[in-house]
This record gives sequence, C-alpha cells and structure tokens, in this order.
Amino acid sequence: MRRLSRTAGTSRILLLLALLWVAVILLFAVLRPTMFSASTVTTILQFSTILALVSLGQCLVILAGGAGIDLSVGGMVSLSVVLAMMAVKAGMPPLLLPVACIVAGSLLGLLNGLLVTRLKILPLIATLGTLFVYSGLALALTGGAAQSGVPTWLLPWGRGMILSLPMPFLTLVVPVFAIAAVLLLHSAWGRWLFAMGFNERSARLVGIPVDRGRLLVYGLSGLLAGLAGLVSLAWLGSARPNIGQNLELESLTAVMLGGVAITGGIGGVGGVIAAVILLVTLKTGLLQLNVNTVWQVGIVGALLIAVLLIERLSKRWS
Amino acid sequence: MIAIGGREWALLGAVIVATILFSVASPYFATAGNAGTIVRNSTELMLAGLGMTLLLAMGSIDVSIGILMGLAAIAVAHALLAAFAPPLALLVGPLAGAGLGLMTALVVVLGRVPAIVGTLGLLGIYRMGVFALLGGQWLSGLPVGLTELMSSRILGVPLSVFVIAFAYLLVWLALRRTPYGPQLLSIGNSEEKARLSGVPVTKIRIATFVISGALTGLAASFYVANYRNVEMAIGSTLALDAIAAVVLGGTSIMGGRCSLLGTALGVILLRILQNGLLLVGVPSLWQAVVTGGLLIGVLALELPASRMGEMKTKWMQR
Repeated sequence: MRRLSRTAGTSRILLLLALLWVAVILLFAVLRPTMFSASTVTTILQFSTILALVSLGQCLVILAGGAGIDLSVGGMVSLSVVLAMMAVKAGMPPLLLPVACIVAGSLLGLLNGLLVTRLKILPLIATLGTLFVYSGLALALTGGAAQSGVPTWLLPWGRGMILSLPMPFLTLVVPVFAIAAVLLLHSAWGRWLFAMGFNERSARLVGIPVDRGRLLVYGLSGLLAGLAGLVSLAWLGSARPNIGQNLELESLTAVMLGGVAITGGIGGVGGVIAAVILLVTLKTGLLQLNVNTVWQVGIVGALLIAVLLIERLSKRWS
Repeated sequence: MIAIGGREWALLGAVIVATILFSVASPYFATAGNAGTIVRNSTELMLAGLGMTLLLAMGSIDVSIGILMGLAAIAVAHALLAAFAPPLALLVGPLAGAGLGLMTALVVVLGRVPAIVGTLGLLGIYRMGVFALLGGQWLSGLPVGLTELMSSRILGVPLSVFVIAFAYLLVWLALRRTPYGPQLLSIGNSEEKARLSGVPVTKIRIATFVISGALTGLAASFYVANYRNVEMAIGSTLALDAIAAVVLGGTSIMGGRCSLLGTALGVILLRILQNGLLLVGVPSLWQAVVTGGLLIGVLALELPASRMGEMKTKWMQR
C-alpha cells in the first residue's frame, strides 16, 4: 500500500518537473533562440554529472531520516580530488587515481557518519563543521591553486561522448542511478532505509540496524562525492580545490525539488535526477544569457525556499 | 542562565593558558597593539554571537548571518555616504538587520521551512543581493564619522565597548527579568510542551529572529566603523565563527540552555586562537579548518548521548 502511494507520488512529481522543464526551455527559447542545438544538450548533461552524483548521496542521507542532512558534500568533492592528486604527486601510481578519489571520499563520508551515529552530534552541525574543515583543508593544502598533472588517459573519458551524450553521464550517472533505484525499491537495505526515515522508533523496534544504516548512507554520500571529484578531474584536467563550492545548496535544492521529504522516508531517485537536469538547464540558460554566477546562486536559493513553502502549504490544504 | 559555572571558569582558564602559550611562542602576541587588534576583531562576533546564542537556545539556527551583516553594512555605508550623522548611521545597521531578521522569520517561522534549509536558501538570495548592490565593486573610503564616534573614549574606554556591554545587559535583562527568557528556553526544550503550556511560540520565535537580525545589523555598524569598506566576501565565516563560539560557551545546540558570559568568553578564546595561530606562522587559509575542528571537537567531548533520539526528530519540524 505504502509502495503504491509512493510510486503514485513519484510519478506526479516527475510530471510536475517535466512541465517545469518545458516551461524553462520555452522561456529560454523566447529569450535566446540560438541556444537550441545538440551541443546544448551535451553541455547540460556534462554539467549535470557532478551535481547528479552528489545529489544522490544527499538524497540517501535525507531519506534515512534522523534529521539527516549532509552539508559537507562540496567539501568532500574538493578534498577528495586534492588528496588524490597529492597522493599521485607523492609517488602513487597514476593508475590508482580513480581508486584514490573514491577511497578518500568514502573515508570522509564515514567520518561524518561516525560523528552522527557514534558521537551523536546533530547532523546539520556535524556536517557544517566538516564542510568548513574539508573545504578549508582543500584550500590550505594547495594554497588555493589548481593542481595539474592529471594523467592524460583520463581525459578522453571525461571529455568524450557517445552519440553526443557525454561519457561520464552515460557510464557513471546512468548506471549509478539505476543501481540505486533497484536497491532502494527491491532490496532489504533499501526498504529499511525508507522505514528508518519514515518512523525511526518502529524501525528500531522491528530490529532494523538504524545506526549502521545511517553510517552507511553517510559513507555512500562520501563515495559519490569522490566519484564526482573523479569526474571533475577527468573533465577539467586539474584538481581544483574550490570545485565543490555551493554544492550543498544545489544538491539540497535538487533533492527537495525532486520530491524527497526533508524529514526522511519519502521520495525516490527518479525525482532527484529529473530535478538535477531541470536545475542545470536553468543554470546553463542563465549562463548563456550572461547572467553572473552569483545570480544563479540566488535563484537556486529562492527555488529551494519556494519548493519547501509550496510543500508545506500543499500539505495544509490536502 | 548567566551564573558563573564550571564552563565559564574552564573557558577563562583556556583564555589564560592560550595567552601564555602564544606569548611564549610569538614576541608579537603580547603587545598592546595586538591586544587592540584582538578586541577590534572580536566586536562583530560578540554581537552576532549574542544573537546566535538566542537562536540556538531556542533550538533554531541561522547560517545566513554573515551575508545578512553584509547587506546591513551596505545600508550603513550608504547612510554614511548620504552624510547621515554618525549616531544615526550607527542605528541604520540594527534597523536594516531587524528587517532582514523579520524576512528570515517569515520563511522559517510562518513558512514552516526547517531553519537550516531556509536560511541556507536565504544565504544564496542575500549573496545575490550583496552582489547586485555592490555591482562587483568595493564600497571603500567611507567617511570617518562613525569610526571616530565608536573610538571616542568615555573614562578611557572606547564607546564600542560600552555599546557591546549595553547589548549584553539588555539581552540579559530580557532573559532574566521578563517572561521572554523562560519562554525562549522552554521552546528550546520542547516546542510542543511549550505550546501546550500556553507559550506564544510563534510570537517568541519571530521576535528572536528579529532580535538576532538586529544584533547582527549592529555588528554591521561595527564592521563599517572598523574597516570603512564593504566588499563581496564580507562575513563569509561569521556564521561558523558564531556557532563555534556559542557552542564553546556552553549553549546547547539542541536548545534549552544558554550562557551569555560563555558566549563572550567563547568569542574571545576563538579570536585569540585565530590571531595567535596567525602570529606563530599558520597561514590564514587554515583558519576555517581550525574553527570547524574546534566546533566538532567540543561537541564530540560534551554531548550527552541520552537526549538525542527525541531531539533529533524535533529539529526537522522547525
């Protein structure tokens, strides 16, 4: 029964997002007709990749409930690329660079998880602290300068495309979201995640390992941040210590826009990827209209608040 | 509420120990000039921290205060440029801040958006506002009137110290001598129970956001008096610094307990650490790492695990 209502809710959100997306496209079609070409699609998907991976992590953390939130996602992306590049410079074989990104990200995420589950620090304060620690470390270790020296064999993957679809999107975002969707709906852990987010007390009473589950989702959020970092390395060809800036705001907006309840237990990954594409379309369009990035941050912030206000109001009316 | 307890003595001890250590480590630390620098750098945080103390005691939070201070500082700067009398310009800050605080209250209290998400969204919007108002330029070379007013001495003590002491006294009186104090703390303990026992929860919460905004706006007047310029990056670490100082001071992040003296001592300790580390040769890029680490470290050491379960769910309903 819950399952039925959940899928019904998801399809309604997907429809709403699709309508919004069409509205955004029409808006830009009027403002700048030259924007439409195959290359714009490629650009949008390319820019979506990092945000999509990070938002999936954010989505899992919020779904698991317990006031779960991961404000440190941007810091983890920045620090994982910096750490991986430093490891390469310190003599690690470059072949291991992808592994280093993933491992670094996972460890940073697990640290968040331990702070939340073992030391019982409120997630928002714990990850606010680690956001500053991680992004501060990324800047301090590099002096703020981008680190070059990414092995050239990574670049064709990061910049290449198949049928004008970017490779990182096809080979990383699509499978990762597919796996997440299947695991969430059809595995025990996935169901436990929804259960612990929906009602923590009853989840504990029926013996679901709530703390271990939450530790796991923070670790996964870190792992996905590490993957996002890897994409940035392969795409940009350098490790930028500020690559994760504003990702906490954008990923939260994507997750809320995608229909995930801030209290946990309700939502799905389909809405999240749709919301990511909507957001990036909006940002790309603004970029093409030469709107400053600060305005984009403002618009994303306004969108976040608007979504939550609408959610609260619609709850009151229904 | 402001009784001198173990926490305050411990902080005082930490301040003394840090002073001694840095005096030994750096010949520049224990000089009159540097003491003046520490005091001057503490003024904005003293006021912003006071507002944050009230918010955290109520079980709420505001991560947008840094950029809120930026907006208020722009208002003060324009007042000075429009040749307002310095005392009037001083008042422009708190007024602008109170207005912005009311805006935050509209979103968080009346809109029922969780404080962390709502203020994060506002952070993006306000940053856009600062950019739009500054147009990418610095407001610099502001008239000296306000600076002269704040550093004019009464009985050998700068006026700024009196203003801060007066703000603390007012807040202390409000907490100890009016119903506001017990009502605020009872909301922090349990909003539901406070509502059931007749506390005007909505009114108190709106008032607290407005008070915090006004105090942060007053901090903006101090900022303009101290530096006589306003630039894009204004206040980027104010929220983290304030939360760290307040938590250091013994105010509970889950509400229900606060210490004004603790906040003041926390601010002084934090600024001494930041200043001392800079003087012993730690690059300023490490500052966010140290502050974030301190915040998490303090929480990791002190949090009683038992109260967590019920408190966590409470957070997301705000």
